[in-house]
Amino acid sequence: MTGQTDSKYYLKALKNILKKGHVSQQVLSDIAAKLGLNFGVIGYDENLLFGTVNEGFQSFDLSLDEIMYGRLLASDDNGRLLASMLMVLVEKELAKKKIGNEVLGLYREINMIYSFSEQISEKIDEKSIAEMALGEASQIINSTHGLFLIYEPKQNEVVELASFGLNPDREKNIHKLNILLKELISRGTSAIVPSDRILNNPALSHLKTIMYAPLKVKHRTLGMVMLGHSEEKEFTAAELKLLTTISLQSASALETAHLYQKGLQEAKEREEAIRSIHEVSQKFVPHEFIKFLGKDKLTEVSLGDLVEKEVTVLFADIREFTTISENLNPEDNFLFINSFNKRMGPIVRKNGGFIMQYLGDGFMALFPNGSQTALRASVEMHSELRIFNEERAVKDRFPVKLGIGMQNGNLIMGITGDVERLDAAIISDTVNTASRIEGLSKHYGSSILLTDNCKNNLTHPEEFDFRYLGPVQVKGKQKPIDLYECINGDSRQLLKHKLATLKTFEEGMKQYFMKEFAMAAVTFQQIVKKERNDSAAKLFLNRSAHMITQETGDDWKGIASISSK
Amino acid sequence: MNKKIKKEKEKYMGQKLLIVDDEAHIRMLIEQTLEDLEDEGVELLFAENGEEALNLIKEEKPNLVFLDVMMPKMNGMEVCQIVKKELKLSHVYIILLTAKGQEVDRQKGLDMGADRYMTKPFDPDEMLSVAEEILKV
Repeated sequence: MTGQTDSKYYLKALKNILKKGHVSQQVLSDIAAKLGLNFGVIGYDENLLFGTVNEGFQSFDLSLDEIMYGRLLASDDNGRLLASMLMVLVEKELAKKKIGNEVLGLYREINMIYSFSEQISEKIDEKSIAEMALGEASQIINSTHGLFLIYEPKQNEVVELASFGLNPDREKNIHKLNILLKELISRGTSAIVPSDRILNNPALSHLKTIMYAPLKVKHRTLGMVMLGHSEEKEFTAAELKLLTTISLQSASALETAHLYQKGLQEAKEREEAIRSIHEVSQKFVPHEFIKFLGKDKLTEVSLGDLVEKEVTVLFADIREFTTISENLNPEDNFLFINSFNKRMGPIVRKNGGFIMQYLGDGFMALFPNGSQTALRASVEMHSELRIFNEERAVKDRFPVKLGIGMQNGNLIMGITGDVERLDAAIISDTVNTASRIEGLSKHYGSSILLTDNCKNNLTHPEEFDFRYLGPVQVKGKQKPIDLYECINGDSRQLLKHKLATLKTFEEGMKQYFMKEFAMAAVTFQQIVKKERNDSAAKLFLNRSAHMITQETGDDWKGIASISSK
Repeated sequence: MNKKIKKEKEKYMGQKLLIVDDEAHIRMLIEQTLEDLEDEGVELLFAENGEEALNLIKEEKPNLVFLDVMMPKMNGMEVCQIVKKELKLSHVYIILLTAKGQEVDRQKGLDMGADRYMTKPFDPDEMLSVAEEILKV
């Protein structure tokens, strides 16, 4: 403190005790009156503080440690007594002020720590905790350098989370410091490092004084906070205590942040696990199915949930699978089926359908958008199958044949089973019929068969070409079903033939149903002559030939009854 | 010589500031905090409880009161209500001091007519600047 600020400071104390209502005012006045004395007090700045002054008053200096901060002017020599008393009072006031200042200083610290711990506890990432701790430390502790370090036990390395005032070579320096820092961290104590020890370390030589405090949680030391000063200045014990407090608060904030991150990570993993279970379960029970039930997740469905919906049911079946599988061992059989299914599934989905069930040598698919999409999928499946067969031919493998049957109608989808075992199930006559129609495709040698119901449901029938195959009495059905063959799934050669003979075939069917069996036989014979692989034409040639010798009543409608599946 | 002696022109000459808290150390802290204002001519007054505070407010009509809420013999809320609602001393600026964690009192205090509210432990720098800001007006 300079003399000037000292005298100012003393003057303030003087002013304080001469304040209105202060007891010293009264005491001074009383004594002066007893002594018959007139007096006044002025500051060193010549401002009148108390009483009155007159020309000719004697002046008595008010001073402390030879620093004059004011004067007492009195009408006679007794003023000396008042001046002495005033000086004692000022000294007392100064002592009180000093304590007050210290208390306020402590209070500031408490307040700082209070708000610091409140703020830091809200931080959840390491870096911002470190930055905040150093920011706070540098504000209350006079320092030019700061480092916030944590020890990573996995890498056995000290990592800097935040710093200030470090020189540009700090990375090099920190590397050099690594061993020292590890040692300091492992000690887990706080200390002021004497300057002679620092000077021995080249990495710290730019600092004149250093102190550090550990980042301690319970008995673990996570790292440390370090402050340094580049000028001659010893840190005080009080400053070290503050740094220690900041470190402790930071450490527990770090720990909380770690726990928080860990919790977050675990929640993420759990979510991921649930998501993958959900994904897998979707593969076992089609998501569309769950959606139809008005649910979002498989976990939401319960026994008895059901919904009725009009859909096209499609059955696809590998022909002569029994023969094929007899020549394969079980594993190859499985591989074969999978290589087939792998190609068909995407076509079903692409056309808005979903596979409800795999049936070993085939599958059942549902098309909620109607038979147009189901028929498109059927034609595509056949063309995909031709590619599949070409690939198989290269590997010298037998070709695969596919039969598809479709029916359109209402379907009840629901969850069946018992509380321990649930399954997605569909209950419908439509499913049975579709399955039977698929069975008939083998009999008629057709690649795709559909019912009139299904054909009538087409939104763009002109996309395809059909042959009418007459009514069929399907087992378990009261009424016969009109059957159509879609020829667009056939090989190019067969399709060409069928298109060329479309009218002839129609003519043959007409003759057949009009009981003109001989004529019909001739007509179908013409077709078969052109293409021996036209199974349906061959079938009707045989039927016509057979009927020639049969008696037919008036009620004969040409309804085919096929017992074999 | 007389000519040289002059009365100082002080910034906040004649303004009064009342500090009310039942805890002596808090009064001392606030006094110490607002010490600089005294140099500027602000007169600091003190009261240890609500009753004393109310009497001082009536007599001295301070410009600013730092009023603790939790006090024996009439708490800060009551004092505030009487000053603002009954005595209608709207020019007496009242800052309520409440302990941290009792922030629920905030709205209640404002309803009682308090002009502002501060939590303890208070930030000394903030308290000083708030006081200066209010006394300036």
